[in-house]
Amino acid sequence: MNNLLSLDMNPILRTYVVYVGSLLVVGSLVLIVLGSVLKKNVANIWKTYRGWLIMIPTLFIILWIGREATIIGIWLLSMFGFKEFARATGLYRDWWYTGAVYVGITGLTIFTILPDPRHAVDGWYGMFMAMPVYAIALLLTIPIIRNKSEGQLQRVSLAIVGFIYMGWMFGHLGYLVNSENFYGYVLYLVFAVELNDISAFTFGKLFGKTKLRSEVSPNKTLEGSLGAVAVSMILPWLMHFSFPHFGTTDLLLTGVIVGVGGQLGDLTISFIKRDLGVKDMGVVIPGHGGILDRVDSLIFVAPLFFHMIRWFHDL
Amino acid sequence: MEKWDYEPTADLELSLRERLKGFPREPHLWIYILRILAALLQRMWFKLYHRLEIHGADKLPVGQSFVMVANHQSHLDAPSLVAAIPLRWIHRAFPAAAADYFFKSAPRSAFSSIVINALPFERQTKGGESLAVCRELLQTRGNILIIFPEGTRGENDDVSRFRSGIGRLVEGTGIPVVPCNLQGAAKAFPKGAYFPRPFKLILHIGEPHNYGSMSPGWDTVEYIGNDLRKAVANLGRNNS
Repeated sequence: MNNLLSLDMNPILRTYVVYVGSLLVVGSLVLIVLGSVLKKNVANIWKTYRGWLIMIPTLFIILWIGREATIIGIWLLSMFGFKEFARATGLYRDWWYTGAVYVGITGLTIFTILPDPRHAVDGWYGMFMAMPVYAIALLLTIPIIRNKSEGQLQRVSLAIVGFIYMGWMFGHLGYLVNSENFYGYVLYLVFAVELNDISAFTFGKLFGKTKLRSEVSPNKTLEGSLGAVAVSMILPWLMHFSFPHFGTTDLLLTGVIVGVGGQLGDLTISFIKRDLGVKDMGVVIPGHGGILDRVDSLIFVAPLFFHMIRWFHDL
Repeated sequence: MEKWDYEPTADLELSLRERLKGFPREPHLWIYILRILAALLQRMWFKLYHRLEIHGADKLPVGQSFVMVANHQSHLDAPSLVAAIPLRWIHRAFPAAAADYFFKSAPRSAFSSIVINALPFERQTKGGESLAVCRELLQTRGNILIIFPEGTRGENDDVSRFRSGIGRLVEGTGIPVVPCNLQGAAKAFPKGAYFPRPFKLILHIGEPHNYGSMSPGWDTVEYIGNDLRKAVANLGRNNS
């Protein structure tokens, strides 16, 4: 075991591997005891849990490989996330718009990897932040090139939402990889956002009485939501090693962004799904639904966290 | 404000396996790309290995819906017919293939739906339902259905009796039916062989037949079957 951990690995990544790895082992043991000793029905939880058992090691391996692998991983999640959105809305049938958004998301990835030619730093910040301008200009040109107007405004609008939300806002998570403290930031975000989700679910199950947003996501409760915010507010202090340079303001803001933003992200995908009349955005992850069902909170939180860091510390 | 009209894809909550088996299929960009690549490879293969000759490709009413019928000797038949269709229409060309064979397992379904773009035809159990799917398919302008009305692969260049399906499909409609005749396939890839042999293939495409003016009924169905069988057989006879 010692040998494996002494592999050239970032110390923050190593700490997360140990913490989360132990959590997974404990979780498996609890499920095994519940299932085979106490004979409880855990089939459904197992299905979801198996999803985690695949996703978490994959995430660690990609982060361990390094910067480019992580950026490309986030590019793939963005592309498939947008594809799910496009298929759920019906925009996918129109390959002009779908293709243009794919091009835009790929552009974001390229400018995340390329260095800025005028400053010798990783990531071309100006171009990354200007991508919405070019993408929207491209999308608005499509009806003109095709000489078509009927129904085009709806398609342009859906494509812009898809690009900005699933591409650009989510892409901030990829851009975060250019930071010196990339392991701490990315791992904390993923860990905290998932814990926020799980807390809302658990507190809701234990104390839930009042519906949070009945017309958007009827299963969520106010009690669950408040419990999750409380957990997310404490977590930055517990995980302070992820960003040792953070002061009290940063830690407080991190808690608010993850606690509130995470739930808003969740509710965002919920209202989209409800408006479209679909249950899940896809079926790629057994027990979890689509990619968007899994990363919904992360999309909302990543850009807010990113700009908080940039404001107080630079990347 | 009016509500927007969303159209979620029909296969949103199906697994990949179910998607590959299902019909009609929703468009997928990656499948289209794979299919184009496969079609290019097939065309090269036919050109170089079988020296495929196509006569009368200009008679295909590309752009409207039509049916291609041909004699059936080998697994090379459907791809050779598809090779006569312009590349940009190949995603709209559906060879009807036996569901019990071509969609038996997941890898076969993947091959049949991606490379062949096959329409799963239930020849034993639900023939009527499958015909309804075909009829529906031809309602969309530009769709091409490829049918081998003999029902199964024959041993030689003789064209055996046509089944009633083709007649039932087009009776009372103005959908053109194009008779085609492929020669050499029985030698190039006989039933039971594992790999095609480098024999020459010749494909003749005839004038489209239209049965829209005939009143529907069993006589018409039988007439259509015989008429097309004769046309397919003649294409072979007159040109060999």
